[in-house]
Amino acid sequence: MRNVQIILNAILSKNIFEYILVDRKLHVISASQGVRKYVNAMPKEGDDVLEYLPELVGNEEEIKQIFVEKYCLYTLESVYKNNDYVNISVEYCDQNTAIILLHNITAITRAQQNLLQYSNESTLLYNTLQKVVDSQNTMLFVTNAEKIEFANKKFLNFFHAENIEEIQKKELKLYQKLDASLQNYRELFVSLKEGEKYLKLGKDIFIVQATQIEAAHTLFTLTKITDFPHEMQLDPLTGLYRKDYLNEMVEKSLQEKRNFALVVMDLDNFKQINDTYGHLTGDKVLKAFVMLLKQHIRKTDLLVRWGGDEFLLFLEDGSPENAILKIENIRKLIDEYHFETIDHLSCSFGLSYTKENDSVDSLLQRADKALYEAKIKGKNKVLFKEE
Amino acid sequence: MIRKKILMLGDFAVGKTSLVRHYIDNTFDDVYLTTIGVKVSKKMLAVNHVELELLIWDIEGETPSKKIPKAYFKGASGAIIVCDASRKETVEGIREHIGDLLAFNREAKYVIAYNKSDLLSAQQKETLSLSENTFLTSAKDGSQIDILFTTLAKEILL
Repeated sequence: MRNVQIILNAILSKNIFEYILVDRKLHVISASQGVRKYVNAMPKEGDDVLEYLPELVGNEEEIKQIFVEKYCLYTLESVYKNNDYVNISVEYCDQNTAIILLHNITAITRAQQNLLQYSNESTLLYNTLQKVVDSQNTMLFVTNAEKIEFANKKFLNFFHAENIEEIQKKELKLYQKLDASLQNYRELFVSLKEGEKYLKLGKDIFIVQATQIEAAHTLFTLTKITDFPHEMQLDPLTGLYRKDYLNEMVEKSLQEKRNFALVVMDLDNFKQINDTYGHLTGDKVLKAFVMLLKQHIRKTDLLVRWGGDEFLLFLEDGSPENAILKIENIRKLIDEYHFETIDHLSCSFGLSYTKENDSVDSLLQRADKALYEAKIKGKNKVLFKEE
Repeated sequence: MIRKKILMLGDFAVGKTSLVRHYIDNTFDDVYLTTIGVKVSKKMLAVNHVELELLIWDIEGETPSKKIPKAYFKGASGAIIVCDASRKETVEGIREHIGDLLAFNREAKYVIAYNKSDLLSAQQKETLSLSENTFLTSAKDGSQIDILFTTLAKEILL
């Protein structure tokens, strides 16, 4: 009875508790007036309490056990009753009486409901967004500076992972596959500002792009390009097209009777760079050289890698003189540029310009001859071959 | 008259409350309002000449961080396991809900509702392989709701 007295005192002082006293058969003995608002009617003596509290149905035997066990056996939380929420508990009173307490918890439950609503809606939105990114044909992943924190299904599948935890265990350092000097994804993001990069994973080549989401996170996308015929001709080290693609462009331009220059360029003494500093440094020099050139040619120009340290440039210009001037500027730029590790690099250039009845081969032949002469005459030169 | 307690079980936002509301009041509201705790509704049925009062426990949906209070399972004769047919993760949760039910009452009967079927295309519906006592329901258009509840009621009275 001690507990009951405490509770009854609470009932008297606040309107948060109501009670129904029941006998061993769960018939009503009496009830507090406030019960009415929960059960729509005032329970009368002798009524079956289950008529008013159907929540107790199925637990009759368990509730009756409290007369045997003599302690609180049954509690039911957060029950909705006529716009209110109550906790229902049944407690032993004496050998013929049990008290059913209805504890009004509406205020706190409504607050919990608001939180739960917000949480559930957020989860639904998250799941929807997850489906959207999973449906993309591009691999997406989000990183902080050091590690991958989110990835879409396409990315997980590519790396044979079920979830992001498995990806994190693999410690994929994709930035190092792009450039061995990069230390983390933050540096990769910065390097991508200079231009798009190409990542070779197995047989596939991907364009890598990055977007800063907020201060701590960056979204990277890997778009597979090897499915497309032209992109199959990409050089994985520099991301430049190979010569075949240039051939197509030159042939098309010749058919359309357009005037343009074809430039063959060859890095001077590149073999010595490889021999002195190693091939890794050689690769970095090639990348830096390409980056420098790309910054100083137009989007309509086409730079391709012919092989090794030889490159070709398709330059659509109004006259051979303009083309020579432009290439001379590029030569100077390279000559004056400070390359990491090796410091200085120079390049020789051979030019040809379209004339009547030209073909890819004839243009290339003249440009190649001009390059040969530039090398003979001491390198770091631009020479033009008219015939 | 016989009274039987049945539970509405399923992940959150699968439409448990909407199914009950349609069954009891024949109404539908597509605004999602999270259920918290439990609301018990009554429905009188005549099954094979037996008067049955179903006490339908509309229980808050389970989330990974909030499990259903075990006290709600006590004394249940059966359950309607509800999933959202358009959300794969809720379909995958069916097995766990059945396990929870049978852990408390091995004799409990259940039926399964693939709800929100109005969101599925005819082709998607065809690809679903539904077992016995599984129904493609929609609280929006009311399809298969009555048969869902009456099938469970019959199972319970068997």
